[in-house]
Amino acid sequence: MTKSKWYGFLVMTLASLLVLSGVAMAQTTLTIWAVDGLELDDPHAYYVQSMVRNFTADNPDITLDWVAFGTEGAALNNRVRVALAANQGPDIFQSWGGTFMGEFARMGKLLDLTDDLADVATSEAAKSAMSYDGKVYGIAPFFAIAGLYVNEEVFEKLELEVPTTMAELEAVCEVLVANDIQPFAVGARDEWPILATYMYLVNRYGGNIFEDAVAREVRFDADPFVQAGLKIQEWSGRGFFGPTPMSEGYGDAQLLMQTGQAALQLSGSWLCGLYADANQTDQTIGFYSVPILEGGVGSATDLMGMTDVGFVATSTAASKKDAVVRFLTYAMSVEAAEKEAGRVASIPGVDPPNRLTGMASDVFTQAETIQFWWDQNLPPALTNPINLTIQSFLMQDTDVKAELGRYEILVEDELGRVQ
Amino acid sequence: MAVPQTIARKKKRDWYGLGFITLFLLPALVILGAFMFYPIKETFRLSFMRSSGFGEEIYVGWLNYQRIFASPEFRQGFINVFTWAFWSVVIQIPLAFFIAFTCVNFRTRLIGRLRGVYYLSNVLPSAITAMLGVFIFSPTSGVIKTFAKSVGWQWLERIDFLGDPNIAFWSLFSLATWAYIGFGIIYLMANIEQIPSQIREAALIDGATQLQYAWRIVIPYVSYALRVQAILATVGSIKLFDLPYMVTLGGPRNATVTLGITLYREAFLNWQYGRGAAIGVIIFLICLAITVLQFAFVNNADTTSEVF
Repeated sequence: MTKSKWYGFLVMTLASLLVLSGVAMAQTTLTIWAVDGLELDDPHAYYVQSMVRNFTADNPDITLDWVAFGTEGAALNNRVRVALAANQGPDIFQSWGGTFMGEFARMGKLLDLTDDLADVATSEAAKSAMSYDGKVYGIAPFFAIAGLYVNEEVFEKLELEVPTTMAELEAVCEVLVANDIQPFAVGARDEWPILATYMYLVNRYGGNIFEDAVAREVRFDADPFVQAGLKIQEWSGRGFFGPTPMSEGYGDAQLLMQTGQAALQLSGSWLCGLYADANQTDQTIGFYSVPILEGGVGSATDLMGMTDVGFVATSTAASKKDAVVRFLTYAMSVEAAEKEAGRVASIPGVDPPNRLTGMASDVFTQAETIQFWWDQNLPPALTNPINLTIQSFLMQDTDVKAELGRYEILVEDELGRVQ
Repeated sequence: MAVPQTIARKKKRDWYGLGFITLFLLPALVILGAFMFYPIKETFRLSFMRSSGFGEEIYVGWLNYQRIFASPEFRQGFINVFTWAFWSVVIQIPLAFFIAFTCVNFRTRLIGRLRGVYYLSNVLPSAITAMLGVFIFSPTSGVIKTFAKSVGWQWLERIDFLGDPNIAFWSLFSLATWAYIGFGIIYLMANIEQIPSQIREAALIDGATQLQYAWRIVIPYVSYALRVQAILATVGSIKLFDLPYMVTLGGPRNATVTLGITLYREAFLNWQYGRGAAIGVIIFLICLAITVLQFAFVNNADTTSEVF
């Protein structure tokens, strides 16, 4: 080979390498719609912020176009629904799974990632929440369970034990009322916060009867549903939810707990970060299993909960599947999840960031069954009405049986009559 | 031969006029057609469908309307908006007139400053007004609660302004009265100021009291403006959504629910676009009927007054 041919060969090789490296470094942009923004220094968004920062640094060929819709999920959900109906929208969106996600999956709007995410380690509950009809459509790095937040300082001062049965719980509430401390902080003005209490009561009276009701084997005004509603009404009448439960929002409820004006709250583990933060509260708050009902059906290991932070890929991202899988896999990594300030991780090997989250994680790991939030797991036409129905139980003049009967009629419209 | 030439000239002028009219009206017509008439027509069509916003739409005839009228929530919303409209006309308009009359006829330094205060509520976005409402009525840290605690008024402390179904509507209405009255005051002030000062002077020289002057001269003079206010208040009440939704979400137990809230719940929370559209059609028809009736009444009244 002559010298000029060698030069020619060298030039061609270099040119090919340049072209190849150009191809390899071709930018892929993933549009992601989420609730938390990346700009503010918000402890609630630490996971998302550090995850995006680190992923972008490690994957220079992928650009993330992150669009935040605010912490109220409704704005994001509404935008996603309109966009996907028009075959537009993001490549990935934040989702809590359930029927909302399932409806999109049913309409073929989501990307099937069953095989691609098969090796990603997660809990069965989290995997199930992001699946529909046996196919996996996304990930849930954090899983929320509802449990009993207890103000341990107040309990210690009044020499109270954390209740393990409903009878003990009622006795504790009586003592708290007598000492001018609101037993339960709820925030029922926002409709949904009382749902977890009702779900647990239904479970404690009738086990997993909710699934039977959805399968149309029992009616929604069957005994356990009515008994649970009457119990909420009774507790409300006895002042266990404070004097003004219907006009307290969820923010008010948190404030009552943070300031020690209320001693108990039955809510999701997403509050662990807030209640464990010394800058947010000077109270010592613990997280416990919801008491059982003596003679009831449900057990302490029957939990209510669902995805806390989750992401789902849309079918418009089919051509970018590799980038989507890389992002979702990183979002499920220990490295990414351990930046979280308070949520319960569904990824094995992630240490809880504080004592309260650790307590919630312990409750989570003991779970034998997990029932998803009803207002996320019923057909959309039934989700808002169930919250309104349950909210009405807090009022003394509500006919619980009649309200549930009206709800049953709506259910019959959507799911059919009980067989 | 002269006649055909005239016709030809006329035709030429007509074409020019038509082109001129078209040039100016077409853009507005296209925009109105695309963003108003077509959506209205689509809303009517959708109201006869079962639709979740996805996939196929199924024709269900009048079923959506039947379900809506059978719904206690819709019926309560219907009652609430008409109650709201009634009290808006009975309370808000007289109050706006009274304040406007005072501001125009008693020009002191204090009243001059109050004008700005009265109008302030009208320039605030609804979200801010709603936040203020929650801040005032909140049972944990609200202004009323804090005040009641500080003066030891337990009876006031016990009132659940937003959580008691018998009180929540009126708490919200009082907030709305403050929020919406500003426009009425400014509008009526502008009309009252049009009354020639000689008329007022003549009335006062003849011995009329301020009340007589207001009743016998000012009210007849601004009657058209009052009727316009009544139409705006009524139609605004029928369409009411933002303030009740942001303060109470329509609760407790639908005590503050409005037709707008039922529409939002059906379409955007329950994914029942067909039913949402049907509620939209009902709101549209009610507003249309009220506007036509009230304008017909106004025109008749004007014709009658011209006769006399």
